[in-house]
Amino acid sequence: MIQINDVSKSFGRRLAVDHLTLDVPRGVTFGLLGHNGAGKSTAIGMMLGQVWPSSGNIRICGQDISHHRDAALSKVGAIFEAPVFYDYLSGRRNLEILAGYSGETPPVRIQEVAEWVGLSGRVDSKVQTYSHGMRARLALAQSLLPRPELLILDEPTNGLDPEGIHEMRETIRRLNTDLRLTILLSSHLLSEVEHLCSRIAVLHQGRKIFDGPLSEARQPQGWVRLVTDDFVTATDWLSSQGLIHSHKEGAKIALTEGTQTGTVVKRLVQAGFTVHEIAHEEQTLEHFYLSLVRANRTPSSIQESHS
Amino acid sequence: MFLHQLRNELWKLYGKKRTYIGFGMFLMAQLVILLVFRFSKASSGMSDLLETNGYNFRDFLSPLTAAAFTNLWLAYLLLPLYGTLVGGDLVAKEAEDGTLRMILSRPISRCRLLALKWVAGAIFSINLALALGASGLILALPCLPWGGLFVFMPGELFGVFSPKEGLFRYAAAHALMAIKAVSVMGLSFFFGCFNVKPAAATILALSLIFLSFILMNIPWFADLKPWFLTYHLNIWQRVYAEPIQWGKITESLSLLVGFNATFFIAGYAVFSVRDIKS
Repeated sequence: MIQINDVSKSFGRRLAVDHLTLDVPRGVTFGLLGHNGAGKSTAIGMMLGQVWPSSGNIRICGQDISHHRDAALSKVGAIFEAPVFYDYLSGRRNLEILAGYSGETPPVRIQEVAEWVGLSGRVDSKVQTYSHGMRARLALAQSLLPRPELLILDEPTNGLDPEGIHEMRETIRRLNTDLRLTILLSSHLLSEVEHLCSRIAVLHQGRKIFDGPLSEARQPQGWVRLVTDDFVTATDWLSSQGLIHSHKEGAKIALTEGTQTGTVVKRLVQAGFTVHEIAHEEQTLEHFYLSLVRANRTPSSIQESHS
Repeated sequence: MFLHQLRNELWKLYGKKRTYIGFGMFLMAQLVILLVFRFSKASSGMSDLLETNGYNFRDFLSPLTAAAFTNLWLAYLLLPLYGTLVGGDLVAKEAEDGTLRMILSRPISRCRLLALKWVAGAIFSINLALALGASGLILALPCLPWGGLFVFMPGELFGVFSPKEGLFRYAAAHALMAIKAVSVMGLSFFFGCFNVKPAAATILALSLIFLSFILMNIPWFADLKPWFLTYHLNIWQRVYAEPIQWGKITESLSLLVGFNATFFIAGYAVFSVRDIKS
């Protein structure tokens, strides 16, 4: 759905995106992660033909965005961080105006999307009277007007209260499952990406430092969480039996090669210990992200963070 | 489709309160000038001038004379201000507010978008100039009896016309004022295509217009007058000349068409390579 091939973008001397290659397949919710200034918004700008790449090419829905912008964007909807509208006009008028740029849109379609996002009761009020949550819904409505196949969402929950964030996340999930839209979600909120995305890419200082399924980022780390009545005695006994080679934090053990959790439970119970819980520790996206970023720090960025 | 999108641009333009500043200020200025003209001795100089030239002042103390006199000054000073204000807003304000990013996430080319905005700006400018003409006359009608038109600008104009001829000249002058309004709008529209604040686009355009006006009126530049933009912007004055200088009007109109095309093409050239960011 989105193919980015070796794209770079410089603003003067500053390299904002550095040889980025990305493939977003149809039907997925794809997370684009990175700290503020990592190059996410520039990458999105280039996907939408708003920012011109310095080199490389981008295909959206099979069309080259630089040469066939109209065709490439005909089935694309987008939401930007802190959505802005013509506040002095009604929500409906805003939708009519924005729909007009995509071609003829019947009034019934405008009513349909207003209802879908739960805005039909206030769609005729001026946007200046809308809350943040309502603006976010209006932003979503405008993105759905052209019946998109691809939605590009740039920090869609920024500025929303916890209830609004939850509502937006549920809506994004529905868009992917019910309407089968491909979604590119750019965010620096790891929990958001973890909840919604099946694939992720991580940008750091304009470079892609990871691209793969979320499950790959959350692979087991080799630690097993063990809850017993007496962790110290139990781990001493497991070490003497050669079943573990280390333990930490009063709750985690590292199994020796070839040892299964089932064997550990069986042997502990046979030895008279009570086992309340045993499970492989899954790496959180936060752990994964932070370790990735630390591993990719350049001397200059380390200096910056210290200063 | 173009008309449908143009209607949307006009909704945006005419939905904003600041769009009406020009109309409101024109009305206020016309009312003040008219009241002073009618109820003070302001018209006595005009009376002397006409009578020394063998005309009866009473025949020309009319709504046409009062409106033409009022609008002469407004067309020089306020019309460029409001034309550039709206022209500077058309692209630069949307870029500043962030709505341009939302528009450009849609399948519309930058050239088409600029064309829509320019035409919307031109419609506004024409409306502004025509409203100036209509309101001047409408406000003066209840205050003065109908009569001929007398127009005077020291060293520039001295025109005396019958009511019928005067009405034609007045209408033609405002039609040409509309061309002036479109051109000043086009100039600030051009500056708005750069990555600048809307106020900067307006100020740049106004500065150029005022600079051109100042230089043109310095005696040393007298021979170079036809090289200045403001010389051609003020072609509306020429319909008050006797006889009407159709040749000069046509020449200036052709140049203004060229200026406008250049402003638009240069604006597009800048806008088409610009990165639109938040």
